[in-house]
Amino acid sequence: MTDVLEVRNLKTYFFTEEGVVKAVDDVSFNVPKGKTLGLVGESGCGKSVTAMSIVRLVSPPGRVVGGEILLNGRDLQCMSEQEMRQVRGAQISMVFQEPMTALNPVLEVGFQIAEAVLAHEKVSKREAWSRAVEAMKAVSIPDAEKRAKEYPHSLSGGMRQRIMIAMALVCHPALVIADEPTTALDVTIQAQILELLDSLREQYHLSLILISHDLGVIAQVAETVAVMYAGKIVEIGLAMDVFHNPKHPYTEGLLRSVPRLGSSVHKKDRLEVIEGMVPDLLHLPDGCSFAPRCYKRTVECTLAPIPLEHVSEHHHERSECKRDAERKRDSAQPQEKSQPSRKVRCIHA
Amino acid sequence: MPEAAEPLLSVRNLKKYFPIHRGVLSRVAAHVKAVDDISFDINSGETFGLVGESGCGKTTAGRTILRLIEPDAGTIRFDGIDLLGLGKQELRRKRRDMQIIFQDPYASLNPRMTIRTTVGEPFAIHSLAGGSEREQRVADLLKTVGLDPAVMNRYPHEFSGGQRQRIGIARALALKPKLIIADEPVSALDVSIQAQIINLLADLQQQFGLTYLFISHAIPVIEHIATRIGVMYLGKLVEVGTSAQICLAPRHPYTQALLSAVPIPDPGAKKQRIFLRGDVPTPIDPPSGCRFHTRCPIAVDRCKVEEPPLLEVEEGRDAACHLVEGRDNHREVQKAQKT
Repeated sequence: MTDVLEVRNLKTYFFTEEGVVKAVDDVSFNVPKGKTLGLVGESGCGKSVTAMSIVRLVSPPGRVVGGEILLNGRDLQCMSEQEMRQVRGAQISMVFQEPMTALNPVLEVGFQIAEAVLAHEKVSKREAWSRAVEAMKAVSIPDAEKRAKEYPHSLSGGMRQRIMIAMALVCHPALVIADEPTTALDVTIQAQILELLDSLREQYHLSLILISHDLGVIAQVAETVAVMYAGKIVEIGLAMDVFHNPKHPYTEGLLRSVPRLGSSVHKKDRLEVIEGMVPDLLHLPDGCSFAPRCYKRTVECTLAPIPLEHVSEHHHERSECKRDAERKRDSAQPQEKSQPSRKVRCIHA
Repeated sequence: MPEAAEPLLSVRNLKKYFPIHRGVLSRVAAHVKAVDDISFDINSGETFGLVGESGCGKTTAGRTILRLIEPDAGTIRFDGIDLLGLGKQELRRKRRDMQIIFQDPYASLNPRMTIRTTVGEPFAIHSLAGGSEREQRVADLLKTVGLDPAVMNRYPHEFSGGQRQRIGIARALALKPKLIIADEPVSALDVSIQAQIINLLADLQQQFGLTYLFISHAIPVIEHIATRIGVMYLGKLVEVGTSAQICLAPRHPYTQALLSAVPIPDPGAKKQRIFLRGDVPTPIDPPSGCRFHTRCPIAVDRCKVEEPPLLEVEEGRDAACHLVEGRDNHREVQKAQKT
């Protein structure tokens, strides 16, 4: 399996008057061809800044200060702005949360999609327009020919988001980054859009990065999940493993604190909670950023930064010491190669 | 049984149409039928959840009950009194017993007022507890919602979203109300903070014997907190029942679709999704007959012409659908006799 995108030790810092905000701090992951990576975390955890860093759209005072972003093996950081413009929209495209602000209100939606084609390919306007209509059909917009001539205000939220997706797909990119694509939508429309994204991924062998704060949305679409907290990935692995057997106390707490559908079977008065709140990125604690809120906290957690380390996948081996687990993993390397490895940033995992 | 006692809040045939003005003379061209003939009861001490998608009228329903928006028709009986019959003065006095918590804790606090003034404002409005007594009451309220009374001199911008929502809750509690209308109180908050606020609301309910009207689009949240749930679609209640009835065995096709669309945080959960065609129609010119017939997977010809009334289909559950079983004439007659 080839990786379309590989992010290595990405660091994006914001140099503000009050100090340096490490919005993204040493983030690494890869997205294989045709697969979906879910990036989940609460507001301010750095998931959107990660996305903006990939397409090099971080604006001052923010700056990517370290790491590599490899798209099909080429480092995007080394590209000229001109080359980068050819990447954005053609090889990597984005779908944003708010389709109303992302669309130009005074242009026909079909034209806005066609614009993307004209920017990247040497085609006639007429051909670009027909490509736009085609893309609108691909995202199941009924009456695409007619709808292409409409303006954003006359479309519903769900339709606008479909237009955004059509725009993202029209140049057949290798990677689509969807940043909270369904957050502004109603739940029945959200279900439609998620289904659409997933079927398009399959149909076009797209790689997808889905960013969301909603664990349910991530669980529904992503194969691999990375959980972010205060600028760092605290846990990454197959969605099945992360959701069924969370190893980082933050992931565990997050999963336990969401009310679940069907909870009226065993009605509980209280939800389990993670005490406290997300730390100020300007004044992060030494050691593990989650330590102040963590029920497993020990003195060791607060001494030095905790590395993101491999953990054993097999549940019954949880009690093994780490060295054993690593040895086992090393010996089992050949078969496991295609599987994304499970990593956790916690010494108690 | 709560049935025996009179409900704390009783809403009957509530309607609110917003006029749309057009043209130079701004003549009324049409109406947005935001809330169109809804009726429900809330018993003392329970939490009634009002759920639905954006534009279904749940917020308007909440505000008309407080008369923050004047309803066009219907009756609202609260604590034995007809709210719509009250004059301005009397209404203001009655409002001590019913308070509201808003969705956006950023917009609902005055940025120029200290926490002391904000939380003490209800006392000022109703000329209650002055001077050091007010100070003490505000400190107690802040403690009740889990804040340090020392924050009293600070301004809203110094607090996080969750803390601001706690301040909003303290303000709502100030006058020891009986009913609190919570309009999407956790929707703007992060997942880990949401759970804290939901727990706080549950604790306060126990402590002060509060009754909640909890409005939200988040079904799992509603299911967790509510004893009974009303599902709204385009200004109408389509199904009302206990939270177990609604969430475990929904009967109305809209409720069924809504529940099936809720994403579950479990990648292994394979569920039967009912995909609804298209978008919610506009409430300006809602579909004829059953308003859901344009998107309903099981609609028949009758649904296009005849509007289904909300009728009891089993003990404790009402549904507005021609095709839900149990709506035999016998029950319709029973219901008619009861009222």
